[in-house]
Amino acid sequence: MLPPASDPSRGDRPTFDAQSVSLWLAVVFGVFLLIAFILFPGFFPPMSPGMSASEVTKFYVRHSTMIRTSMIIFNLCGIMLLPFFMVIVYQMKRMATPTQVLGYCYLSAAATGATLFAIADLFWLIAAFRPDRDPQLIMLLNDLAWITFTAPVGMIIAQNLCLGLAVLLDSQPRPIFPRWVAYFSFGVALVMAPSVCAAVVQSGPLAWNGLVSFWLRIISYALFLVVMFFVLQSAIKRQRKEQPVSAITPGAVAAAR
Amino acid sequence: MTHAQTDTASADQPVTVGAGREKLDLWICWWVLPVFYTFFGLIFVLLAHVMPPPSPELSVSQILAFFHAHGTTIKVGFALLMGVIGLGSISNGLVAYQMKRMSVRPVFAYGYIATLAVGAIPGCLFCAIFFLVAVFRPDRNPHLIALSYDTALLTFVGSLGCFLANYCVFTLAVLLDKNRVFPRWLGYMGVWQIITELLAAPVFIFKKGPFAWNGAIAFYEGTVIFVVFLTCLILQVRKAIGNQPADELVPD
Repeated sequence: MLPPASDPSRGDRPTFDAQSVSLWLAVVFGVFLLIAFILFPGFFPPMSPGMSASEVTKFYVRHSTMIRTSMIIFNLCGIMLLPFFMVIVYQMKRMATPTQVLGYCYLSAAATGATLFAIADLFWLIAAFRPDRDPQLIMLLNDLAWITFTAPVGMIIAQNLCLGLAVLLDSQPRPIFPRWVAYFSFGVALVMAPSVCAAVVQSGPLAWNGLVSFWLRIISYALFLVVMFFVLQSAIKRQRKEQPVSAITPGAVAAAR
Repeated sequence: MTHAQTDTASADQPVTVGAGREKLDLWICWWVLPVFYTFFGLIFVLLAHVMPPPSPELSVSQILAFFHAHGTTIKVGFALLMGVIGLGSISNGLVAYQMKRMSVRPVFAYGYIATLAVGAIPGCLFCAIFFLVAVFRPDRNPHLIALSYDTALLTFVGSLGCFLANYCVFTLAVLLDKNRVFPRWLGYMGVWQIITELLAAPVFIFKKGPFAWNGAIAFYEGTVIFVVFLTCLILQVRKAIGNQPADELVPD
């Protein structure tokens, strides 16, 4: 379930261990996701919840090719970010926290959160499959897609709380992640929290096309992923230097005792 | 909760987990359990009116009346759930961690995480999402609102397999465990949970009577056993953390 640590027999020959590969997978597929994001006609500007059923249907008829193209890319690439989250889990488990419980909590939340993204994508694709369907049905699918995509931020909030807490509890002279990562992750969780309102309001900054629920949520999470890429990369580099012929998990805790 | 409170150690002190910090992460996660299930009860019982569930026999116009009457509280409750649902993952991780301490670790522990990570969506979030969609546009085609109503309640009461697998994994782990992390009787209660899931299977067939989704067996019997089980689980996890030596090394 977790990516294996660098193979002891290979000493400190770096580059192609599971962790680095997972990080670079996230970069590659992150670029694909960015392309899909830009291609989806429903994001520039984000579709308004105030659109009528016939307007929504017209949108799907007019843009069906681009909707399908972009959403198929999302479909193929979205879950490819999970190995990246598993690197976070593995690094959390190396921390000198009292126990490793937070890593398991993080893993559980990451799995459920990713599934939600996959489901939202499917709703969009189903709506685009037959744009000649009854407009009321297209609107229902469109509502389901947008609400599932925007509102259930609870999994990300839980992930970031667990990560932040683990970083703060990592009691070793040089913690695995610097302390500011904790506050950064709490901050991102806080900024994303108001998006839950997207499931209940139809206009203003909290609506699913609003400044807070759409732009702030997506930009802050994208920033979080970019920052975590660099944080993880330096943690992995240091791990290679410090434990070349690995004395792996429960790592720091075991060493500490 | 004496263990959880003191936090005197400097973060930069070398080597040992700071004094007063032993098991601090476990205690924080433990507190999530009562907090999450309080939210859960508040949301599903008082705000969203999903528990006890309205009848499967409502006509389309009665369903519209139900959403009209409870629209505001459904919105408040389920929007709140969207934010706090992740706490469920934290309690999931904590129980799994305790299972890793068992002599049967770690396969059942991973199974516990996986089954609940799956179950969270059809068994809990779908209900919220479909109720939210139903009240999002009260002027939607009434038959689609009725479809959302059925989808929400059937997924909520009827996501049997996710939880069946979860209780099987848990029950087997507790009964086979030689380290006595949890008492055997909690394993026997797990058997009751398994039976409960099986007894709820007819919700897909009956619209009235004891096996309907609001029936005496499919809903009330199941819910009573669930609440008793959950209370015992929360208390036993607390006890297990208390009994756990602070320097215990849980193998990976």
